[in-house]
Amino acid sequence: MPLTSYSFAFRAMASHCEVRVYAPDGPTARHWSDSAIAEVRRIETKYSRYRDDSVTTEINRAAGGAPIAVDAETGALLDFAAALHAQSEGLFDLTSGVLRRAWDFKAQRIPSQPLLDTLLKCVGWSKVDWRSPTICLGASMEIDFGGIGKEYAADRAATLIMELGAQHGLVNLGGDIRVMGPHADGSAWKIAVQDPRGEPGATIAHLEVSLGAMATSGDYERFFESGGRRYSHLLDPRSGWPVEFWRSVSVVAPIAIAAGACATVAMLTPVDRALKFLDAQGVRYLAVDAVGHQHSK
Amino acid sequence: MKRFASVFTCAGALAFSVALVGCGTVQPWQKGNLAKSEMAFDPDPLQARFADHTYFSKEGASGGMSVGGGGCGCN
Amino acid sequence: MKTGSILAAALALPGLVPAAYAQVTVPNATLIQFKYLYYRDYQESGNRITVNSPALYLLAPISDSWVFEIGAVYDNVSGASPYYHTTLSGASGRGIEDARSAGDITVTKYFGRTAISARAAYSTEDDYKSIAGGLTLRHATPDQNTTFMIGGGYSSDEISPTDGPVFTRTKTTIDGIVGISQVLSKNDTAQLNLYYAQQRGYLSDPYKALYGVDQRPDKRDQMAALLRWNHYFEGLRASLRTSYRFYHDDWEVNAHTGTVEWAQELPYGFTLTPSLRYTTQSAAFFYYDPVYDATLGPPFPPGYLSSPNAFYTSDQRLSAFGGITPGIKVAKSFAGGWSVDAKAEYYEQRADWRIGGDGSPGLENFKAQLYQVGVAKKF
Repeated sequence: MPLTSYSFAFRAMASHCEVRVYAPDGPTARHWSDSAIAEVRRIETKYSRYRDDSVTTEINRAAGGAPIAVDAETGALLDFAAALHAQSEGLFDLTSGVLRRAWDFKAQRIPSQPLLDTLLKCVGWSKVDWRSPTICLGASMEIDFGGIGKEYAADRAATLIMELGAQHGLVNLGGDIRVMGPHADGSAWKIAVQDPRGEPGATIAHLEVSLGAMATSGDYERFFESGGRRYSHLLDPRSGWPVEFWRSVSVVAPIAIAAGACATVAMLTPVDRALKFLDAQGVRYLAVDAVGHQHSK
Repeated sequence: MKRFASVFTCAGALAFSVALVGCGTVQPWQKGNLAKSEMAFDPDPLQARFADHTYFSKEGASGGMSVGGGGCGCN
Repeated sequence: MKTGSILAAALALPGLVPAAYAQVTVPNATLIQFKYLYYRDYQESGNRITVNSPALYLLAPISDSWVFEIGAVYDNVSGASPYYHTTLSGASGRGIEDARSAGDITVTKYFGRTAISARAAYSTEDDYKSIAGGLTLRHATPDQNTTFMIGGGYSSDEISPTDGPVFTRTKTTIDGIVGISQVLSKNDTAQLNLYYAQQRGYLSDPYKALYGVDQRPDKRDQMAALLRWNHYFEGLRASLRTSYRFYHDDWEVNAHTGTVEWAQELPYGFTLTPSLRYTTQSAAFFYYDPVYDATLGPPFPPGYLSSPNAFYTSDQRLSAFGGITPGIKVAKSFAGGWSVDAKAEYYEQRADWRIGGDGSPGLENFKAQLYQVGVAKKF
């Protein structure tokens, strides 16, 4: 039965997204795409900190008060965040979002240390009382699923349509990609890696993925330059300051949320330790260091 | 009784070899094709029940799939 | 790719990898299914049974570890069943107009990779009641590639024939099963089940006993070994399901049964599944051919007078024969979880289709047509 390639573009999670799938006919492709997009929107609605009715806002509103109960899906994500915090020695931290109040990328102002110190008092997963199924944040603390939201949604959307029958295709949410299967002819997807110092669309390499996921963390997504240094949105939650070990880290792993977590942790780790970490995790990667050298496996 | 013993031994050997062949582990993210409903052993529960019941009524052999099914006076 | 600690933590999140059927995980969808069976068999001597059977099935996960299943069927049976042998010269059968209702409920509790199911079933018709229960345990290895199953069941049946002298007899069955399922590749799964059952009590057919000669032992020990193998053809987008069952009991019925189904995915949500089943069985040791005693005449077997208390049956289902069932099924699935399906099968038994021995002579070929239509919703 011949399969045809279909592509559906949409906007979600403040990013350009697409579902690319090989299907036996148009209505089936549309059905798969609609299901995938609906799942992405469901997750966005449920976890967006910009929405008044989201789980994230509900948890943050209760900060400093009584513990609140969360559902099974949220509980599983919190367990994952806790495991990651422990495995990354604190580099992965769901509570680091408050630091964005110090770093204003529009005003391009470097914050004062006293301001950072005040905010750091409200940062730290160890200050969160998470005992399934209830969570309690300290006063003024906030959690933000933004660091894993797109990867989680890509995995969920792709899994949903794999169970509906999609065998070849991918779900791409702003560069966080879950591949369900190779092209219909069996050839792998060649996914471009953005040049961290180039124009949008300029690539430095391609990574081949037949089945699995790719996520990229880069210092070019949000930053400002001042006094000859780049200050990016990738902050070490323990100090509040951006790191400058890497320009970008792209990771290929079996599922997107794992690829994204590895990329985030590696990005915040000095070069040698980061490479050891990625090797220990058994993932493929392409990382561009601060002087532009590529390290890959 | 000897018949029972020899058949069980053969079946046991088959089970063992089936398990051995499965030693190349399939990872969870590789099970897309196995998630298709047509790859279940009984994709259609009611169809399986009808078949079971029909052949139980018309043949001398039965069983092998479940327990505690109960009988009927079908003939 | 080896499994690093981050990947292991990520895989603990539910719903990020496709859920294969051959594994122990809580189903993530509710399923309601309705199906209607129309069955008609016929033999030239005029014996014919027609069955109309609506049936319902529901599978509902109640929480993240409890699952309920309910099944119900209503069989409307009418026609004539032969008194003894189905031969052109034999007497035609007794008329039947009977309705059977049956229902069952299964409750399953999941503890991680282990599931325990408890099942209760009830069946009633005007001359037969059955109540049964079973308990099954399934356990999967951490990689979910191997699943073990063990189960036991008990049935208690009551037979009260509506013809002839009024009596009620009972029959009890104890059965057990062990099984192993294995994921062999990303396109292959296999299952091996070993089954054993012991029946005790009244095992004869009361109507054949009344109008013919039907005296069966009051015990029957049965065993079956079932091997199933599913293979997915990626390029063709088709699933091949095959099974083989070996059956043996102490009535000396031995049977080999093989089935093959090819489920072909087609555009627009259609699936076409041709199927073929072949079975061959030996006769029970006490089955007698349609050759009757010279003195007594039909339905008595030769030598009946000298051993009137021996075991005898003229029931065609305990004779030696081969049976073939070709079939075809068409299904269509719609967006929103709805699907419809229709299946047609033709089933014939013939003595000379037996492999591994002679078929029982002198019997009419048994022929039946089966039609099913169904609708299902998954949500």
